[in-house]
Amino acid sequence: MSLYDIIINRIKKVQTQGEEEEPVTSIDASSTLAAEITLLSSLLVAAIMLRFFSNALMIIAVLLVIAIAVFAMPIMPKLKREQNDSLNGMVFYVILALGIVTVLFYWGSLNV
Amino acid sequence: MNPLIALMVVIPIACALILNLFHTKERTVKIIAIVVALALPIIPLVTSYGLHYFGAYSTLAQSPTLAQGLPGFITGSALNLFHMGIVYSFQSAQQLFIFIIGLIAFLAILTSLSEIKKASGVYAYLMFMGVAAVTAVLLSDDIFNLYVFFEIAAIAQVGIVIASKIKGNYETALKYMIIGSIASPLMLLGIALLLGVTGNVNITDIAYSLKNGLVNPQNPVLLMACGLIVFGWMYGSGLPPFHTIKSALYSKALPHGAAMLQAFSVFTLVAIGIIILRIFSYLSFSHVFIIAISLAAMIFSITMALMQTDIKRIIGYLAVGELGYIGLGLGIGTAFSITAGLFQAVNEAIVTAFLFIGFGTILYKTRESDIRKLGGMMVEMPKVALLVLLAGLAMAGVPPFNIFQSKLMLIQASLNAGIPELGIIMILLSIVTFMTFMKAFYAVYMRPKPRDLEIKNTNIPKATIFSMVVFLIVCIILGLFPQIATGLLQGLANSLI
Repeated sequence: MSLYDIIINRIKKVQTQGEEEEPVTSIDASSTLAAEITLLSSLLVAAIMLRFFSNALMIIAVLLVIAIAVFAMPIMPKLKREQNDSLNGMVFYVILALGIVTVLFYWGSLNV
Repeated sequence: MNPLIALMVVIPIACALILNLFHTKERTVKIIAIVVALALPIIPLVTSYGLHYFGAYSTLAQSPTLAQGLPGFITGSALNLFHMGIVYSFQSAQQLFIFIIGLIAFLAILTSLSEIKKASGVYAYLMFMGVAAVTAVLLSDDIFNLYVFFEIAAIAQVGIVIASKIKGNYETALKYMIIGSIASPLMLLGIALLLGVTGNVNITDIAYSLKNGLVNPQNPVLLMACGLIVFGWMYGSGLPPFHTIKSALYSKALPHGAAMLQAFSVFTLVAIGIIILRIFSYLSFSHVFIIAISLAAMIFSITMALMQTDIKRIIGYLAVGELGYIGLGLGIGTAFSITAGLFQAVNEAIVTAFLFIGFGTILYKTRESDIRKLGGMMVEMPKVALLVLLAGLAMAGVPPFNIFQSKLMLIQASLNAGIPELGIIMILLSIVTFMTFMKAFYAVYMRPKPRDLEIKNTNIPKATIFSMVVFLIVCIILGLFPQIATGLLQGLANSLI
């Protein structure tokens, strides 16, 4: 199976799971909301740190986080589904992280 | 040469093997385990600082008898300064780390022997083997020897989970092994590449070769080696994307086992993080990456902790999130920030063990860890509830506890380094950590008891209370007198910049 197929299947799986969303209790809802706000505010502050590399990159990243906040909320339930205990999901992200780490270390060490 | 340095690893291994042999004799297992566990924190306190050379050879420069008669191209080159065998280095920072891991091991083993009806020699074997492996990882100056013990620690962790007899433990342990079978060989490949380029496995010698131009530091193979070793570091410590499996691993262990597992992760993060800084600190990107991955660990783990309903999973995610603070200290890269990061590691190991053992009393009384099915435990055990509350306050960074001091130092370090954003994120996530803890605490202790919740009519073992009180005392002492720890860590931090 090609990497493209794996990614497509993965996206389909996430979308299917999304349709089977269970109703949440009030504690779950308030926890999700708090997690959502924490995630977005942390990412927003973290994006500002990109000013050390490039101001343009920082502006793009901040606008991207704001766009995500406006158009993709709620993010946490999706993130929770993605970070589940499925072996397939874990292996997918481990291999993805390996690719990112090796590429970044080669590119980043020569350019940062 | 100091033989006690090697004994810090040899004694727990020997004890583990003996316990395995006597696993059917419960009384013998208990006596040996407690005596040796008590020795674990004492040995580093009585051992003098220095190096231990396996094979008894240091360097040619320090062994004139060996150097005599060797050709000039050996004695006149860097080979004269290189180490010939495996070297263990024991300094003040290692003393503190090994003392803390010994203390956690002692209290976890004491708690396990008092809470488990029939003492298991195999379970104690795995705990001692894990302690020996992580101690070796902290001491070793040989990156291949370190890898061997890194693997032993991983296997011991899997074993502790398998021996825990908790629903779903086999599946989680198997998943951890499968993921480890991807990450560990890649770390070994990184070490092999490092050996290929530098011709050496001794970390001091590798750093010397890079600093003195014996090897081209910009060699692409070295960059790849750095990436792969960092990847192995992420796996061993539970940094993203390994935070999910790591928190799952904690939640499928018994509370005292989870207390040990998190200590293994914390000190693995510290040991390999120090090695990455020693070898690759010349790559400015390595600092950037450590900060980025630490931030990811903090943000994703602490927000995920808020979404959980299982107490052990909540603490597991919070523990992984707290690892990010340590990483930030290492990543900022100043002597002050590294000291703060290392201090945070010591504090986190203690406080998380405190929380695991504290919330473990709920499991002991009810066999339930889902906060939706719990409640009313304040009435059942008010003293334990108070101790757990204090542990939670300590983790959130409330004064006068130890984590307040280390988090304050980390925030100061980020401001001093001109990165106030890191300080803001640390404060924000500390507040959320406190909120997450209070959510769990309210659900377990303060909410009315659900009708269908069955509570065992047995008292919490005195050994468990004793362990929690010892943890609390250590938290308060390090909170009031942080210089006890920071004084021991400054030397290592200064050597890394």
